[in-house]
Amino acid sequence: MAKLQFVIIGLGTFGMHLAKNLAGKGAQVLAIDEDEEKVHEVSTLVTQAVQADATNDKTLRELNISDADAAIVAIGESMEASILTTLLLKEIGVKKVIVKGISPLHGQVASKIGADKVVFPERDMAERLAESLVSPSILETVELSPEYNFAEVLAPARFVGKSLRQLDMRTHYHLNVIAIKRKIPELLDSGETEFKEEVIIAPEPNEEIAEGDIIVVLGKDKDIEKIKE
Amino acid sequence: MVDKKEISDLKKRKKEEETLLEMGKFYFLNGKYKEAIAELEKVVKLNPKNSEAYYNLGLVYETKGMNEEAQKMYKQALKIDPKYKLAIEHLNKLTGI
Repeated sequence: MAKLQFVIIGLGTFGMHLAKNLAGKGAQVLAIDEDEEKVHEVSTLVTQAVQADATNDKTLRELNISDADAAIVAIGESMEASILTTLLLKEIGVKKVIVKGISPLHGQVASKIGADKVVFPERDMAERLAESLVSPSILETVELSPEYNFAEVLAPARFVGKSLRQLDMRTHYHLNVIAIKRKIPELLDSGETEFKEEVIIAPEPNEEIAEGDIIVVLGKDKDIEKIKE
Repeated sequence: MVDKKEISDLKKRKKEEETLLEMGKFYFLNGKYKEAIAELEKVVKLNPKNSEAYYNLGLVYETKGMNEEAQKMYKQALKIDPKYKLAIEHLNKLTGI
Protein backbone atom coordinates (compact mmCIF):
# COMPACT_ATOMS: atom_id res chain seq x y z
CA MET A 1 0.00 0.00 0.00
CA ALA A 2 1.26 3.44 -0.88
CA LYS A 3 2.06 5.73 2.02
CA LEU A 4 -0.67 8.10 3.09
CA GLN A 5 0.00 11.69 2.14
CA PHE A 6 -1.04 14.69 4.21
CA VAL A 7 -0.68 18.42 3.89
CA ILE A 8 -0.60 20.49 7.04
CA ILE A 9 -1.02 24.22 6.76
CA GLY A 10 -0.13 26.23 9.83
CA LEU A 11 2.50 25.05 12.27
CA GLY A 12 1.20 26.33 15.59
CA THR A 13 1.12 23.96 18.54
CA PHE A 14 -1.64 21.83 17.02
CA GLY A 15 -0.27 21.74 13.47
CA MET A 16 3.25 21.05 14.71
CA HIS A 17 2.19 18.12 16.90
CA LEU A 18 0.00 16.74 14.14
CA ALA A 19 2.86 16.95 11.62
CA LYS A 20 5.30 15.23 13.97
CA ASN A 21 2.82 12.50 14.88
CA LEU A 22 1.79 11.74 11.32
CA ALA A 23 5.44 11.60 10.23
CA GLY A 24 6.17 9.38 13.22
CA LYS A 25 3.48 7.00 12.02
CA GLY A 26 5.17 6.71 8.65
CA ALA A 27 2.94 9.04 6.62
CA GLN A 28 4.25 11.46 4.02
CA VAL A 29 3.77 14.95 5.35
CA LEU A 30 4.06 18.27 3.61
CA ALA A 31 4.13 21.04 6.23
CA ILE A 32 3.50 24.64 5.25
CA ASP A 33 3.85 27.82 7.29
CA GLU A 34 4.88 31.41 6.71
CA ASP A 35 7.25 31.37 9.68
CA GLU A 36 10.75 30.31 8.66
CA GLU A 37 11.68 29.18 12.16
CA LYS A 38 8.74 26.81 12.44
CA VAL A 39 9.40 25.40 8.99
CA HIS A 40 13.00 24.82 9.98
CA GLU A 41 11.98 23.10 13.22
CA VAL A 42 9.82 20.55 11.47
CA SER A 43 11.98 20.14 8.35
CA THR A 44 14.07 17.22 9.59
CA LEU A 45 11.02 15.25 10.69
CA VAL A 46 8.58 15.53 7.79
CA THR A 47 8.88 14.63 4.11
CA GLN A 48 8.85 18.25 3.01
CA ALA A 49 8.55 21.56 4.82
CA VAL A 50 7.85 24.72 2.87
CA GLN A 51 7.81 28.35 3.87
CA ALA A 52 4.87 29.80 1.94
CA ASP A 53 1.69 31.83 2.10
CA ALA A 54 -1.10 29.27 1.77
CA THR A 55 -3.67 31.92 0.88
CA ASN A 56 -1.84 32.50 -2.37
CA ASP A 57 -3.59 30.52 -5.09
CA LYS A 58 -0.51 30.26 -7.31
CA THR A 59 1.77 29.09 -4.52
CA LEU A 60 -0.66 26.43 -3.39
CA ARG A 61 -1.16 25.10 -6.90
CA GLU A 62 2.59 24.95 -7.49
CA LEU A 63 2.95 22.61 -4.52
CA ASN A 64 0.99 19.99 -6.43
CA ILE A 65 -1.10 18.77 -3.54
CA SER A 66 -4.32 17.67 -5.24
CA ASP A 67 -3.39 13.99 -4.76
CA ALA A 68 -3.01 14.26 -0.99
CA ASP A 69 -5.25 12.03 1.09
CA ALA A 70 -6.17 14.96 3.30
CA ALA A 71 -5.19 18.53 3.99
CA ILE A 72 -5.43 19.96 7.47
CA VAL A 73 -5.86 23.70 7.83
CA ALA A 74 -4.39 24.39 11.25
CA ILE A 75 -4.18 28.16 10.96
CA GLY A 76 -4.96 29.48 14.41
CA GLU A 77 -4.86 33.25 14.28
CA SER A 78 -6.49 34.50 11.14
CA MET A 79 -10.01 33.36 10.31
CA GLU A 80 -9.70 35.03 6.93
CA ALA A 81 -6.54 33.10 6.06
CA SER A 82 -8.09 29.85 7.26
CA ILE A 83 -11.26 30.32 5.19
CA LEU A 84 -9.36 31.41 2.09
CA THR A 85 -6.99 28.46 2.33
CA THR A 86 -9.89 26.03 2.80
CA LEU A 87 -11.60 27.43 -0.27
CA LEU A 88 -8.44 27.15 -2.34
CA LEU A 89 -7.81 23.56 -1.23
CA LYS A 90 -11.31 22.55 -2.27
CA GLU A 91 -10.87 24.30 -5.61
CA ILE A 92 -7.60 22.52 -6.23
CA GLY A 93 -9.46 19.26 -5.63
CA VAL A 94 -7.98 17.97 -2.39
CA LYS A 95 -10.12 14.96 -1.42
CA LYS A 96 -10.54 15.76 2.22
CA VAL A 97 -10.08 19.08 3.97
CA ILE A 98 -10.07 19.20 7.76
CA VAL A 99 -10.15 22.59 9.40
CA LYS A 100 -9.17 23.56 12.91
CA GLY A 101 -12.01 25.74 14.10
CA ILE A 102 -11.14 29.10 15.60
CA SER A 103 -14.64 30.05 16.75
CA PRO A 104 -18.11 28.50 16.31
CA LEU A 105 -18.88 31.00 13.56
CA HIS A 106 -15.63 30.24 11.77
CA GLY A 107 -16.48 26.54 12.03
CA GLN A 108 -19.87 27.13 10.43
CA VAL A 109 -18.38 29.15 7.59
CA ALA A 110 -15.69 26.52 6.99
CA SER A 111 -18.36 23.81 6.75
CA LYS A 112 -20.43 25.92 4.35
CA ILE A 113 -17.54 26.44 1.96
CA GLY A 114 -16.82 22.73 1.85
CA ALA A 115 -14.61 21.70 4.77
CA ASP A 116 -15.19 17.97 5.24
CA LYS A 117 -14.62 18.21 8.95
CA VAL A 118 -14.11 20.96 11.48
CA VAL A 119 -12.30 20.11 14.70
CA PHE A 120 -12.02 22.14 17.88
CA PRO A 121 -9.06 20.47 19.60
CA GLU A 122 -9.45 22.26 22.93
CA ARG A 123 -13.20 21.76 23.10
CA ASP A 124 -12.92 18.13 21.96
CA MET A 125 -10.15 17.40 24.45
CA ALA A 126 -12.11 19.08 27.24
CA GLU A 127 -15.12 16.90 26.42
CA ARG A 128 -12.97 13.78 26.54
CA LEU A 129 -11.29 14.83 29.76
CA ALA A 130 -14.63 15.61 31.37
CA GLU A 131 -15.91 12.22 30.30
CA SER A 132 -12.86 10.43 31.69
CA LEU A 133 -13.08 12.34 35.00
CA VAL A 134 -16.75 11.61 35.47
CA SER A 135 -16.61 8.04 34.15
CA PRO A 136 -13.10 6.72 34.81
CA SER A 137 -14.10 3.21 33.75
CA ILE A 138 -15.01 4.43 30.28
CA LEU A 139 -11.60 4.76 28.72
CA GLU A 140 -12.30 6.07 25.26
CA THR A 141 -15.32 6.86 23.17
CA VAL A 142 -15.63 7.45 19.46
CA GLU A 143 -18.80 9.01 18.17
CA LEU A 144 -20.31 7.02 15.35
CA SER A 145 -23.43 9.14 15.04
CA PRO A 146 -24.96 11.68 17.44
CA GLU A 147 -26.67 8.75 19.17
CA TYR A 148 -24.29 5.83 18.80
CA ASN A 149 -20.79 5.50 20.17
CA PHE A 150 -17.97 3.04 20.24
CA ALA A 151 -16.59 2.90 23.77
CA GLU A 152 -13.75 1.13 25.49
CA VAL A 153 -14.89 0.15 28.95
CA LEU A 154 -12.97 -1.52 31.73
CA ALA A 155 -14.91 -4.72 32.43
CA PRO A 156 -16.76 -4.27 35.72
CA ALA A 157 -15.94 -6.81 38.46
CA ARG A 158 -19.41 -8.35 38.16
CA PHE A 159 -18.63 -9.37 34.56
CA VAL A 160 -15.39 -11.20 35.42
CA GLY A 161 -15.55 -14.98 34.95
CA LYS A 162 -18.76 -14.81 32.96
CA SER A 163 -19.07 -15.66 29.28
CA LEU A 164 -20.54 -13.24 26.76
CA ARG A 165 -23.42 -15.66 26.38
CA GLN A 166 -24.13 -15.49 30.12
CA LEU A 167 -23.87 -11.71 30.15
CA ASP A 168 -26.11 -11.38 27.09
CA MET A 169 -25.30 -7.72 26.80
CA ARG A 170 -27.46 -7.23 23.75
CA THR A 171 -30.59 -8.06 25.73
CA HIS A 172 -29.64 -6.58 29.08
CA TYR A 173 -27.74 -3.46 28.02
CA HIS A 174 -28.54 -3.06 24.31
CA LEU A 175 -24.84 -3.15 23.60
CA ASN A 176 -22.83 -5.14 21.08
CA VAL A 177 -19.38 -6.34 22.09
CA ILE A 178 -17.10 -5.68 19.14
CA ALA A 179 -13.81 -6.70 20.69
CA ILE A 180 -12.03 -7.52 23.92
CA LYS A 181 -8.59 -6.12 24.73
CA ARG A 182 -6.74 -8.35 27.15
CA LYS A 183 -3.37 -8.18 28.84
CA ILE A 184 -1.64 -11.54 28.90
CA PRO A 185 1.19 -11.91 31.44
CA GLU A 186 4.40 -13.27 29.98
CA LEU A 187 7.94 -14.06 31.01
CA LEU A 188 10.65 -12.47 28.89
CA ASP A 189 13.90 -14.26 28.00
CA SER A 190 15.62 -11.97 30.47
CA GLY A 191 13.54 -13.51 33.27
CA GLU A 192 11.59 -10.28 33.68
CA THR A 193 7.81 -10.23 33.73
CA GLU A 194 5.74 -8.29 31.17
CA PHE A 195 2.37 -8.51 29.54
CA LYS A 196 1.39 -8.51 25.92
CA GLU A 197 -1.84 -7.00 24.71
CA GLU A 198 -4.18 -9.20 22.74
CA VAL A 199 -7.21 -7.98 20.86
CA ILE A 200 -9.99 -10.52 20.37
CA ILE A 201 -12.08 -9.21 17.50
CA ALA A 202 -15.72 -10.32 17.30
CA PRO A 203 -15.39 -12.58 20.35
CA GLU A 204 -17.26 -15.89 20.48
CA PRO A 205 -20.26 -16.21 22.85
CA ASN A 206 -18.20 -18.64 24.95
CA GLU A 207 -15.46 -16.09 25.58
CA GLU A 208 -15.13 -15.40 29.29
CA ILE A 209 -14.39 -11.93 30.59
CA ALA A 210 -11.12 -11.81 32.53
CA GLU A 211 -10.07 -9.34 35.21
CA GLY A 212 -8.69 -6.17 33.63
CA ASP A 213 -10.31 -6.83 30.24
CA ILE A 214 -11.25 -3.79 28.23
CA ILE A 215 -14.42 -4.41 26.30
CA VAL A 216 -15.11 -2.46 23.14
CA VAL A 217 -18.82 -1.93 22.82
CA LEU A 218 -21.12 -0.29 20.32
CA GLY A 219 -24.30 1.31 21.58
CA LYS A 220 -26.08 4.37 22.84
CA ASP A 221 -24.44 6.68 25.36
CA LYS A 222 -27.00 6.05 28.07
CA ASP A 223 -26.62 2.28 27.68
CA ILE A 224 -22.83 2.50 27.83
CA GLU A 225 -23.16 4.50 31.06
CA LYS A 226 -25.20 1.68 32.58
CA ILE A 227 -22.46 -0.94 32.53
CA LYS A 228 -19.92 1.10 34.44
CA GLU A 229 -19.57 0.35 38.11
CA MET B 1 33.83 -7.79 63.42
CA VAL B 2 30.61 -8.98 61.86
CA ASP B 3 28.85 -11.67 63.71
CA LYS B 4 28.45 -15.01 61.91
CA LYS B 5 24.84 -15.19 63.00
CA GLU B 6 24.18 -11.77 61.54
CA ILE B 7 25.53 -12.87 58.17
CA SER B 8 23.49 -16.03 58.25
CA ASP B 9 20.33 -14.05 59.14
CA LEU B 10 21.01 -11.63 56.33
CA LYS B 11 21.44 -14.49 53.86
CA LYS B 12 18.24 -16.07 55.10
CA ARG B 13 16.32 -12.86 54.63
CA LYS B 14 17.74 -12.34 51.17
CA LYS B 15 16.72 -15.87 50.24
CA GLU B 16 13.22 -15.32 51.63
CA GLU B 17 12.92 -12.08 49.68
CA GLU B 18 13.94 -13.82 46.45
CA THR B 19 11.52 -16.67 47.03
CA LEU B 20 8.62 -14.32 47.72
CA LEU B 21 9.43 -12.29 44.60
CA GLU B 22 9.49 -15.44 42.47
CA MET B 23 6.17 -16.51 44.01
CA GLY B 24 4.67 -13.12 43.21
CA LYS B 25 5.88 -13.36 39.61
CA PHE B 26 4.60 -16.93 39.37
CA TYR B 27 1.13 -15.93 40.55
CA PHE B 28 1.08 -12.99 38.13
CA LEU B 29 2.04 -15.22 35.21
CA ASN B 30 -0.82 -17.55 36.13
CA GLY B 31 -3.38 -14.76 36.29
CA LYS B 32 -3.73 -14.93 40.07
CA TYR B 33 -3.45 -11.21 40.66
CA LYS B 34 -4.71 -11.05 44.23
CA GLU B 35 -2.18 -13.64 45.37
CA ALA B 36 0.58 -11.96 43.35
CA ILE B 37 -0.08 -8.65 45.12
CA ALA B 38 -0.01 -10.34 48.55
CA GLU B 39 3.42 -11.92 47.88
CA LEU B 40 4.90 -8.78 46.35
CA GLU B 41 3.66 -6.68 49.28
CA LYS B 42 5.59 -9.03 51.56
CA VAL B 43 8.75 -8.44 49.53
CA VAL B 44 8.58 -4.64 49.81
CA LYS B 45 7.89 -4.99 53.52
CA LEU B 46 11.04 -7.08 53.92
CA ASN B 47 13.06 -4.85 51.65
CA PRO B 48 11.56 -1.46 50.74
CA LYS B 49 14.42 -1.01 48.23
CA ASN B 50 13.40 -3.92 46.00
CA SER B 51 12.65 -2.12 42.73
CA GLU B 52 11.71 -5.33 40.92
CA ALA B 53 8.92 -6.00 43.41
CA TYR B 54 7.54 -2.50 42.85
CA TYR B 55 7.75 -2.95 39.09
CA ASN B 56 5.85 -6.24 39.36
CA LEU B 57 3.24 -4.65 41.59
CA GLY B 58 2.82 -1.97 38.93
CA LEU B 59 2.43 -4.65 36.28
CA VAL B 60 -0.24 -6.51 38.25
CA TYR B 61 -2.21 -3.31 38.90
CA GLU B 62 -1.94 -2.26 35.27
CA THR B 63 -3.16 -5.66 34.11
CA LYS B 64 -6.13 -5.31 36.46
CA GLY B 65 -6.90 -1.92 34.90
CA MET B 66 -5.92 -0.03 38.09
CA ASN B 67 -3.76 2.48 36.31
CA GLU B 68 -3.33 5.00 39.12
CA GLU B 69 -2.00 2.40 41.51
CA ALA B 70 0.22 1.05 38.72
CA GLN B 71 1.71 4.50 38.17
CA LYS B 72 2.52 4.85 41.86
CA MET B 73 4.34 1.52 41.85
CA TYR B 74 6.35 2.30 38.71
CA LYS B 75 7.32 5.65 40.20
CA GLN B 76 8.44 3.89 43.36
CA ALA B 77 10.52 1.43 41.33
CA LEU B 78 12.12 4.35 39.49
CA LYS B 79 12.87 6.18 42.72
CA ILE B 80 15.03 3.22 43.70
CA ASP B 81 16.41 2.50 40.23
CA PRO B 82 15.99 5.49 37.90
CA LYS B 83 17.26 3.45 34.92
CA TYR B 84 14.71 0.65 35.22
CA LYS B 85 13.85 0.37 31.51
CA LEU B 86 10.58 -1.55 31.70
CA ALA B 87 9.29 0.67 34.52
CA ILE B 88 10.10 3.78 32.46
CA GLU B 89 8.30 2.34 29.41
CA HIS B 90 5.19 1.44 31.36
CA LEU B 91 5.05 4.72 33.23
CA ASN B 92 5.47 6.70 30.01
CA LYS B 93 2.68 4.75 28.38
CA LEU B 94 0.33 5.34 31.31
CA THR B 95 1.05 9.04 31.54
CA GLY B 96 0.66 9.38 27.80
CA ILE B 97 4.22 10.48 27.04
